[in-house]
Amino acid sequence: MELGVSEDMSEVSNVARVQTLRTDRIEARANGLLGDCRRAFHAFGELDELAENLRILSLNAELAAGRAGDKGRAVRALTQYTRELVNRLAMIQGEMNALRVRTFTLSSTILRGLLQLSLFEQACTLVNDDDHDTRAKSTVGGAFIQIMRMLVDTLDDMANCVDDLARRARGVEEVVSQSDSIATNIAIEAAAAGVHEKEFRTVSDTMRRYVEDLRLMIDEAADAVRRAGEKGASLRRLGLDSLGELEHNG
Amino acid sequence: MKCVTLFRQDDHCWQAFGQDPDRPDNVVDTNQYLIRSGASAMLLDPGGMEVFPAMLAAVTREIAIEDVKALFLSHQDPDIGSSLPLWRRVCGADIKVYLSWLWAGFTSHFDRNATFTTVPDEGMEVSLSPGLKLRFIPAHYLHSAGNFNVYDAKARILFSGDIGAALIPRDRQGGMFVTDFASHIQYMDAFHRRWMASTRARDAWVAQVSKLDIDILAPQHGLIFKGDDVKRFIDWFAGLDIGSGIAAMASK
Repeated sequence: MELGVSEDMSEVSNVARVQTLRTDRIEARANGLLGDCRRAFHAFGELDELAENLRILSLNAELAAGRAGDKGRAVRALTQYTRELVNRLAMIQGEMNALRVRTFTLSSTILRGLLQLSLFEQACTLVNDDDHDTRAKSTVGGAFIQIMRMLVDTLDDMANCVDDLARRARGVEEVVSQSDSIATNIAIEAAAAGVHEKEFRTVSDTMRRYVEDLRLMIDEAADAVRRAGEKGASLRRLGLDSLGELEHNG
Repeated sequence: MKCVTLFRQDDHCWQAFGQDPDRPDNVVDTNQYLIRSGASAMLLDPGGMEVFPAMLAAVTREIAIEDVKALFLSHQDPDIGSSLPLWRRVCGADIKVYLSWLWAGFTSHFDRNATFTTVPDEGMEVSLSPGLKLRFIPAHYLHSAGNFNVYDAKARILFSGDIGAALIPRDRQGGMFVTDFASHIQYMDAFHRRWMASTRARDAWVAQVSKLDIDILAPQHGLIFKGDDVKRFIDWFAGLDIGSGIAAMASK
């Protein structure tokens, strides 16, 4: 720090800025967490389109089953069950949309908090000298702790969102597994459907393709959700450790 | 961050803060001002969030942060008040934030929890302490549509916001005051021609401030005018051809 003082208008003082790394570390991990959350939601981005395709397929299958008369009775029952699965997907999709809004709102709070944290960290470094009294140091340090606490709370909320997202992903996984069974059963029914075999087999094959797409979606999302969960937990620990250290020192 | 005392009489004091040596080159240099009287202080255009750490450190060298009872934002720009949520974290919960009524909703984008004491178009008078009254003087359209200066009749200082601003290259920065008006013009000429849009507003402002006793004219960017340079600036500004951006539209 450089300082020069006189009593008149020429009074001039300089305070040099120094940076420390605590918030940089938290910021880097938080960016990773937010990136994984974005990736998970992005993976589910085509869920509504797949659900709609599955719904149209079930309607077409039902028409084909009607045309097959008695030989289509079992397929008709299976397509009705498929529609229930489609409804479950739609419900999960709606919940996922609400969760996406909540997650992105929390992300914005975290990013804003990180920016404030970094600025107050700089301020803490600058007031940590003999020119500032204890009151100034404790005010600035107190503000830093306050933001860190807010950040830890928001990270808790974020962790809950990631858990919710994992639950929704498991819901989609159940739909995938049940759709797979339905496709297998339609294929079995096709074998005994005589002239209607080709039509039922097409339904079964198309359904398997959709199931495959859903599975890919789940795999990609599950990976992002798992990473987000790990990063969220480690970030929260880092925040709590920093908070503990600050409160202990403060 | 440099800190210069502009006026001091008993417990009444004006200080200017600026020319932060650690400011990144892409962040425009700003001046922040602190007026103190008794146990109360007001920060004028407290600055953008980039300058907040240095500014907070500089201010707390001078006064207890609890003494900052009010913030004044001359207009809505980010270099004026994007630090608002940060100041509100360290100042008392009852801190007053003065701002043109026009900008309250917009400035809430910096800080949705802030409560503003809005300044009507014609301006207003506030008491910083029982012994000191400050006048918020309208300077609309210079450059912002809702814009105010602050006049302290006792200290004879006019805080003029962007009026009088100059963009001075870092290697030309030295003191905080204009010492050679003629050579200073090069740093404020383009700024005023482009940023100041309304000749009518400029003329009204000139007429208004010409009636005031001003020893120091303190802008938000660049160097501070004192003594005869105050009148030199007002006369120069009164004759300047402003609104240069209009040419780009007229040429189409």
